[in-house]
Amino acid sequence: MGVVIHHPAYSDYAFGEDHPFSPLRVRMTLDLLAELGHPVVSIAPEPATREELLSVHADYYVRRVERLGAGETVPDASSYGLGTPDTPAFMGMDEAARWQVGGTLHGANLIWEGREKRVLQLGGGLHHAQRNAASGFCIYNDLAVAIQFLIRKGLWVAYLDIDVHHGDGVQQIFYEDKRVLTLSLHESGKFLFPGSGEVHELGAGAGRGLKLNLPLEPLTEGDSYREVFEAVVPAALRQFHPGVLVVQAGADAHADDPLADLLLTTHDYEALFRRIFDLADTYTAGRVLFTLGGGYSLHAAPRVWALLYLLMQDLPLPGALPQAWRERWAGVLGGRVPQTLHDPYLPSASLSRREQIRHRNRQTAERLLEAVAPHWS
Amino acid sequence: MLVRDIMITPAVAVFPETTLREAYRMLGEKGIRHLPVLEGTRLVGVVTDRDLRLATSSLAASPLPPDSPVAAVMSRDPMTADAADPVEDAARVMRDRKIGCLPVMDDDRLIGIITGLDLLDALMRMTGVDKPSGRLEVRLPDRPGELARLTAFMSHRGLDIHSILTYPDGPEAVRTVLRIGTIDSHLVAQDLRRAEFEVLWPPGKPWA
Ligand SMILES: [Zn+2]
Repeated sequence: MGVVIHHPAYSDYAFGEDHPFSPLRVRMTLDLLAELGHPVVSIAPEPATREELLSVHADYYVRRVERLGAGETVPDASSYGLGTPDTPAFMGMDEAARWQVGGTLHGANLIWEGREKRVLQLGGGLHHAQRNAASGFCIYNDLAVAIQFLIRKGLWVAYLDIDVHHGDGVQQIFYEDKRVLTLSLHESGKFLFPGSGEVHELGAGAGRGLKLNLPLEPLTEGDSYREVFEAVVPAALRQFHPGVLVVQAGADAHADDPLADLLLTTHDYEALFRRIFDLADTYTAGRVLFTLGGGYSLHAAPRVWALLYLLMQDLPLPGALPQAWRERWAGVLGGRVPQTLHDPYLPSASLSRREQIRHRNRQTAERLLEAVAPHWS
Repeated sequence: MLVRDIMITPAVAVFPETTLREAYRMLGEKGIRHLPVLEGTRLVGVVTDRDLRLATSSLAASPLPPDSPVAAVMSRDPMTADAADPVEDAARVMRDRKIGCLPVMDDDRLIGIITGLDLLDALMRMTGVDKPSGRLEVRLPDRPGELARLTAFMSHRGLDIHSILTYPDGPEAVRTVLRIGTIDSHLVAQDLRRAEFEVLWPPGKPWA
């Protein structure tokens, strides 16, 4: 059993009507769980303080977010990734972003104090935010703030990022830190934002060999994804001896995601989540902190995250989705309202294309293991 | 990108009377393979690690002793680059002449050197990713104004173009690869298709 962290103020983290990073995704998830008879009881966090942000962010950057959030004009905002098409400025943006950070930090604190082992933060996962810049919908890096807190308390952190985009912000912030292992599986940066996350990015200094990336081919399906996951993730955890696992559980590797090109299904997510709980039991005495992240398909993301919650709580998985939920969200979902929690279909590329993709991903995993071998003893 | 942006400066140089032994030691010490040869301040040749090895090899018809002067083995009147030359011009010269380096000159003065490795670095910089960005690949008719139409489309949306690379694709088209500063390149692609651009990457979505 685990606990959920959430606050109504999370929905203030919103960039406008048509922006993909919509608070609707979490609202639909919560509503789905309630209609399934499992209303989520959540713990309310506090927004992170300025001081807490400064554990990973530059003061001059935070100052700019504050000024934009207060409605002031900041002429050089776009040099800091702010006021851009991806991360537009909005009133109250500083506080909205601090709520996201506060939730993830609160989860880290519950685990550090030994009060909880499994925590699901129903927000955050803003892995692209850099020390001094916003990027890809991410203003403050809640994950990095929480990880910084944990390592300062003496818990070494294995960070696992299954969002379809490379977890560049978290990797960069801890690039030279030997107390943080980062593992990111993502669609290759040759094809997808942000462009980084190549196999050769292995960390620097004392952190060398502890930043691992699996850049995957576009159209990668679940079996290949899980194969390379198995080849790399357990070995890395075994090597590193983390105290806690922090997971960015973006749902945008799902086949239905409008921003990316991987082909995972809810069945793959179920297997992946079960495996992550197993790994936490084996390597971190069950301590695992999940955040959300990307996941821009309103058809898929709420089902993936509901699945995560149900698995965390050892609840049975339903077949059909409740009528009331389907009716309530039919308008938002357009003509394609899912009938069941799991995807009904298996998308498939042609067989030869699929073999080729699987082969290339396997080679990527092999190259990665070869590259880190000299750094692991 | 210009030669001055990628050259190694200052260049390590030797004199015609420098011995082969000394030149060889300098190559090893600095981890380099090419040495311009200066007479006073005038460039008179280039000597490479290959020149030294071939001249002194026991396999040579008459191997030179290690205290021979560099002047005996250097290539005279070498090809050079100007600091203001585009890197592609330098690459062309090196490829055509099959040479591994070009001393870089500013008015008759040696100011640096570029080698094949520096050109590879330049290629990586031109095609690489140094800012968070997504890839967009568009096939454009090879006629005036098409590239401008594409870049105007980006600027109307307030999108940064971080890099742009264009090469011929058949006789009547060019392929343009852009790195643009957004996580949502699929949306940009969809709108480009609506504006009748031929977008090769990212692919369209089946439901869009
Ligand atoms: Zn993402």
